[in-house]
Amino acid sequence: MRELAAIGIVALAFGLGAFYVDRDVPLFALANLAVAAAALGAAGALALRRARAGGASPAARRLLARRIAAVAAALALAWACERGAARGGWTWDATADQRFTLAPATIEALRALPPGLTATLYTEPGDNRARNVRLLLETLAAAGPLEVRTRDLSEASKEAERYGIGSSSTIVLELGERWELVERPTEGALYEALRLLGTPSASVLYVARGEGEGRFDDMEDAGYSGLAAALQVEGYQLRDLVLPAADAIPPDASAVLLVGPRRPLRDVSLAALERYLAAGGRLVALLEPGVETGVEALLARWGFALPDALVVDPASGPVAGDPPGVNPIVFQFSDHPATRGLGPTRMVFLRGARPVIPERKPEPDDTLRAIAYSSRRAWLAPEPGGLPPGAAPERPADAVEDYFPLAAVGSYPREAGEARIVVIGDADFAANHSLRALYNADFILNAIHWAAAREPEITLRPKTITVDQFPMTPQQSLRMLYGVGLLVPELCLIAAALAWVRRRSG
Amino acid sequence: MSTRLAALVRKELAVLFGSPLAWLTMAGVALVTALLFFDHLRIYNQILFLYSSSTMGGFTSGTIPIYVNLRDQVFLPVMETLALTLIGLVPLVTMRVFAEERARGTDELLATTRLTPREIVIGKFAATYGFVALLMALSFVYPAASIIRAGLGLPHLLAVYLGLFALGIALASIGLVCSAFSESQLLAAISAYAVAFVLYDFRWTTQFLPEAVAAAIDPLSLHLRFGAFAEGLVRAADLAYFAGYVPIAFALTRLAWDQRRVR
Repeated sequence: MRELAAIGIVALAFGLGAFYVDRDVPLFALANLAVAAAALGAAGALALRRARAGGASPAARRLLARRIAAVAAALALAWACERGAARGGWTWDATADQRFTLAPATIEALRALPPGLTATLYTEPGDNRARNVRLLLETLAAAGPLEVRTRDLSEASKEAERYGIGSSSTIVLELGERWELVERPTEGALYEALRLLGTPSASVLYVARGEGEGRFDDMEDAGYSGLAAALQVEGYQLRDLVLPAADAIPPDASAVLLVGPRRPLRDVSLAALERYLAAGGRLVALLEPGVETGVEALLARWGFALPDALVVDPASGPVAGDPPGVNPIVFQFSDHPATRGLGPTRMVFLRGARPVIPERKPEPDDTLRAIAYSSRRAWLAPEPGGLPPGAAPERPADAVEDYFPLAAVGSYPREAGEARIVVIGDADFAANHSLRALYNADFILNAIHWAAAREPEITLRPKTITVDQFPMTPQQSLRMLYGVGLLVPELCLIAAALAWVRRRSG
Repeated sequence: MSTRLAALVRKELAVLFGSPLAWLTMAGVALVTALLFFDHLRIYNQILFLYSSSTMGGFTSGTIPIYVNLRDQVFLPVMETLALTLIGLVPLVTMRVFAEERARGTDELLATTRLTPREIVIGKFAATYGFVALLMALSFVYPAASIIRAGLGLPHLLAVYLGLFALGIALASIGLVCSAFSESQLLAAISAYAVAFVLYDFRWTTQFLPEAVAAAIDPLSLHLRFGAFAEGLVRAADLAYFAGYVPIAFALTRLAWDQRRVR
């Protein structure tokens, strides 16, 4: 019996060893596993027969029965603890980029979906990314109603054809008849797929055009295609509004976006905007310093003062190749739905900003407030267009240092409805080159949600955090290897030699 | 801990460190870790310096591909190899714990002391787990020193080592059970390898079992559970899974011990 067990164990070790070397089950492994199964089975049968025939005393049998019961109890205890811990769901995300810490937006998007959502991960053997993606899916499943499945891509040709799966580690999210393909699964990509699976909203945003505004179809760095895509993911329909040709804002507008106009708006356009607001309309205006568009005068009637100056904030260092101070990093926010979650550790980065000062309420019931501020060391550089490019602005002796509001909001209850206005003293921060920097995307999307009266959708979205990429120098690495890396095994080997000599001599 | 139990643990540790095998095992783990880690760190640094050379834009954010990072280039490959190294080395330490006593007949001597079987098993388990902890601590020194010096990724490294320690405890538990059921140290080691190989990764079962059954038993694999730690994710369920090996191994060892007594 023991010989058979020994043969079985050796064959099992070799059979599985071959699998771990090859990551496949070759004939050698298969033969060994077959021999192991036969030998161990036979040894087990013989042991059972011997135990039945054996003449152990009743006391010995009782003792062994107790021990077997203890083994069963230990198994049950281990299983219960594991299940309990899994249900508790405690985790610690130790990754540098916090890839397993879900953003509130992802959890909300998942929980907002009706039951029946499944995520199928298609992988190929040997794909190192698969484990990471699977863990991300398991993290997601722990946060909301999601069933996770894994399929071998080589055995799922029909699904691959149906969904258009081109590579391993691709996820298909399915909800009833609808599905979304996620080819490079990150939390951000999953979030977008979850949002797209949700019920599309009927909110329509009109994007002003015709006076040099930022283009939402421009995919270059200075374009706003990223913002357009993000708004579509959030459930908005985007429509162009050619201001010079519009004498009225369409009635189905949830809000109008005025993003960095470069030329003065015509009187007819301004009048249309004025009428729209008076009738309870919603406007999100992103206005660059150094450009007078006529919107400033319109906004002044709604209580905002927009001095044509550049906010220089010495608390912000040189960013994006510009001199220090001209691109303020905003970390002070007032308590408002549009800035929910933002703060000193969740900042926004503006690229040249003008002050937006909430000056006076047009009506007593109106609400007007600043929502984002520079640091206390900021000052105003007049005539921002006249600053030499690339040079740090010099602080005039009479310049006043203060907290300057960089964004403000107003709400105006009127008979026709509540008008809402968001004014931000910069437009570039939402362009493609800066949208994904810090919490810029959250700031602009949440401001639009607030303006469009979609406060429940205000949230913080998944981030792509830069992972550790900075090295030690080769000299440092070598020094560490000789200093610590090889010293420890050397000392252990010396100890081994001493132990051996001591044994031999004693 | 009672005086008797403490004496037994001291005796076990003295026997362990009195043998060259324990020191050789520690040297092996520390050396493999150091060389593997240094080699991967060296290659990683070379790739980084290549990307950061002046013609490629320096260390400006965005010029280095996202997959060139400590996690993918250093932690994952090194720790995967270390996990397999543990399977090779831990049974060499555990094989003698009970089997040697049986082969020499000193287990009967031990049974005649005032120590209860439970205390004997606890003492041997504690000494072995302590040794595994020391093994991990020694192999941790160099990677930790390097990572702290570079100021990067220490939480991830801690997570990986927590996983390695948990894996080491599970492997030691398997080895102790195999040693308890065997009189031959060699057979104890080989059977520990065999059981560890069976439990390490259940993907081989997909060749024989229906996909649904294979998927159901997959969460029982050591590799899958360790994988979460290697990826930098510490989950209570995985810790509980590894901790579960301890009471099961303890109960099985008591069974082996009593089986020997009543035979």
